[in-house]
Amino acid sequence: MSAAAAPAAAATPVVRIEGLGMVYPGGVRALAGIDLEVHEGEFLAVLGLSGSGKSTLLRCINRLVDPSEGRVWIFDREVTRLRGGELRRLRRQVAMIFQQFNLVRRHTVLDNVLSGSLGRSRLLPSLVMSFPPAERARALESLARVGLADRAGSRADALSGGQQQRVAVARALMQEPRLILADEPVASLDPALRHSVMRHIEALNRDEGLTVICSLHDIDLVERYATRLVALRDGRLVWQGLPSEFDRATFRSIYGEDAEPASNTGF
Amino acid sequence: MARREPAADTTWRASVESLQAGAIDAVLIAILLAMGELLVVAFSGRRGPTGLLLGAEQILDLLSYGRWLGAGIALAALWALGARWLGASPGQALVRGVPEGERDLAWTETLRGWFAAVFIELTFFAGWLITELDLVAFLTKFGKAADIVRGLAQPSTSVLHEGLILLVQTVFLAFMATAFAIPIAFVLAFPSARNLTRGSTLARLAYTVSRTLMNFVRAVEPLVWALIFISWVGIGPFAGVLALWVHSVASLTKLYSEQIESIDTGPMDAITATGASTLQVLRYGVVPQVIPPFLSFTIYRWDINVRMSTIIGFVGGGGIGYILKPRVDLGEWGEVGTLVLLIAATVWLMDLISAKIRERIV
Repeated sequence: MSAAAAPAAAATPVVRIEGLGMVYPGGVRALAGIDLEVHEGEFLAVLGLSGSGKSTLLRCINRLVDPSEGRVWIFDREVTRLRGGELRRLRRQVAMIFQQFNLVRRHTVLDNVLSGSLGRSRLLPSLVMSFPPAERARALESLARVGLADRAGSRADALSGGQQQRVAVARALMQEPRLILADEPVASLDPALRHSVMRHIEALNRDEGLTVICSLHDIDLVERYATRLVALRDGRLVWQGLPSEFDRATFRSIYGEDAEPASNTGF
Repeated sequence: MARREPAADTTWRASVESLQAGAIDAVLIAILLAMGELLVVAFSGRRGPTGLLLGAEQILDLLSYGRWLGAGIALAALWALGARWLGASPGQALVRGVPEGERDLAWTETLRGWFAAVFIELTFFAGWLITELDLVAFLTKFGKAADIVRGLAQPSTSVLHEGLILLVQTVFLAFMATAFAIPIAFVLAFPSARNLTRGSTLARLAYTVSRTLMNFVRAVEPLVWALIFISWVGIGPFAGVLALWVHSVASLTKLYSEQIESIDTGPMDAITATGASTLQVLRYGVVPQVIPPFLSFTIYRWDINVRMSTIIGFVGGGGIGYILKPRVDLGEWGEVGTLVLLIAATVWLMDLISAKIRERIV
C-alpha cells in the first residue's frame, strides 16, 4: 500500500480540479465540466476570450467565488469543502494578482505590501495597522525585489499602473505563498510595460519555484513565459498543450474563425 | 454561454401581482369617488348649524369613505374582469407594465388614460378646497407680516447678548448630537450595507433589522423626538441633543451604508485572497475607501443639526429657538429680527465652512 502510494505522492499536483462548473445567480453559466491538474513549479497560462470563464476559474480555486459543481484540491486539501478559519489558512498559501491591481489606494505602498501578511497577523494590532518589525523588514525586502524600495512611503495611487502592479506582486510575495493566481495581470498596462511586470512573476516561478496559474490573452506573452497552456471557450476547457504546440489552427479553434493574432507571433 | 436555468414557479407570482394590481385600483377608484363627493358637497353650498358654509374639515368629516372603498373594490374587480375590453387598469399597468397592444395608443384612446386625466384634475380641485387656498387674503392682508420685515430691518439690540450666548449653545448642541452619532452610525453602517450582507442568513437578517429600525427612526421628525425626550429628561438643551442625536444616527447610518454599497470591491477581493479575516477585510478593503465621504457627510450633518436645533428650541429643546418663540408670540418684532439675523448669519457661516472642508476632503 505505502509502496504504491509513494510515487503517487511525489506527483501530487498543486491544484487538482474535477468536474468544476459555475452558474452565477441569475442563471449565467460561466464554467462547465473543467478537469485540470497543475504541478509543482509549472507556469500555466490560461487562454481564452473575455467572458470565456478565465477569471471565474481562477476565483474558484481560492474560493473568491463558490463553484456550483465539482471539486478543487490544493496541496491535497479539498478547498471546496473548507469553511471559515480553515479556508483562510489555506488562502494564505495562495496569492492572487488582479488585472486592476486592487491596491488600497489611500494607503502607502509599504502598508499595501504589509497587507499581504494579514493572514498570519494578530487581529488587534493589524486593525490599527501595527505590524512587527520583522514583517516591516520583509515588506521592504519584497519591495526591493520589484525595484520599488524608494517608493515605500508614497501613496499607492500616486504610482503609475505598472508600478502599482509591481506593488501587487510584492504584496503577493509578502504572503509567502506556494501558488500564485494571476488574473490578466498585464491587460490594463501599456504594452511597453507588460514585460516589466511579467518578468517579476516569472522570477517568482523560476527562482522561488512557486507554481503560477496566469490568465493571459496576449499570445506573445504566453509563448515567452508559460511552460504549459490551457484554453477556455464558453466555459469549457477546449485545448491544452505546450507553447510550442500552439499554432494558427489552435488559435482559431479557441478564438473563433474570424480571429487574427493581434501581433507578429511567428505563425 | 448564457444558458438559463429553469425559472421559478410563475403562477404564484402572477396571483400576487393580480392582488397588488387589484388593491391599487380599488384604492385609486375609492379616492376618485371620494374627491367627487367632496366637490359635489362643496359646490352644492351645504351650510352647517351656524348657517355658514361648511369648512373643508367639516366636509371631509361628512364623506362616506367606507361606501366609496366598497365601491372601489367592486369597480376594480369589474375592471380586472373586463380588462380584455377596457384595456389594462392603472394598477395592472403599474405592477406588470403596459401591455404590448396598448403601448402605441394615445391616452385619449384608453379608459386608463381618461381615468388618470380625471383623477389628476380632481386632485387639484380637491386640494384647493381642502387646504383652503385663499388668494384674497394672500394679496390683501400683508400688514402684520410687514411688521416682521420692518423688525428685521430695525433689529433691537436688547436681546443681542442673550441671543449670542444661546447661539453658542445651539452650535454645541448640534456638535454633541453629531459627535455622539458618529460611532454608532459607523458600526451600524456595515450591517446596513447590502453588498456586505449577502453572505449568510444571519447577515441578511442583520441587514433587514438594521434597515427597518433606521428607516423607522428617520421617518419620525426630530421635532417629535424632541417632545419625547423633553418628557423624558425635561426641558432644556440636553433633550435637544438627544432628539438630534437619534435622528442623526439614523440618517448618518443611511448615508454611510450607501457609501459602503458603492465602493470598489477589488481591494476587498485582494485582502480576502491573502487569507485575512472578515474584520481585517473590512478594515483594509472597505474603511480606507469610505473615510473621506464619511467625513464629508458628517460635517454636512452638523450643518443640518445647527439649522434643526432652532426649531427644536421652539418646543423646549434648548438653543436659540427657545427664546425666539415667546418673542414671536408677543410680537416683539425688533427682537425677533435680531434673533433671525443671528441664526441666518450662523447658518451661512456653517454652510461656508462645511463646504470648504468638504471640498478639501473629497
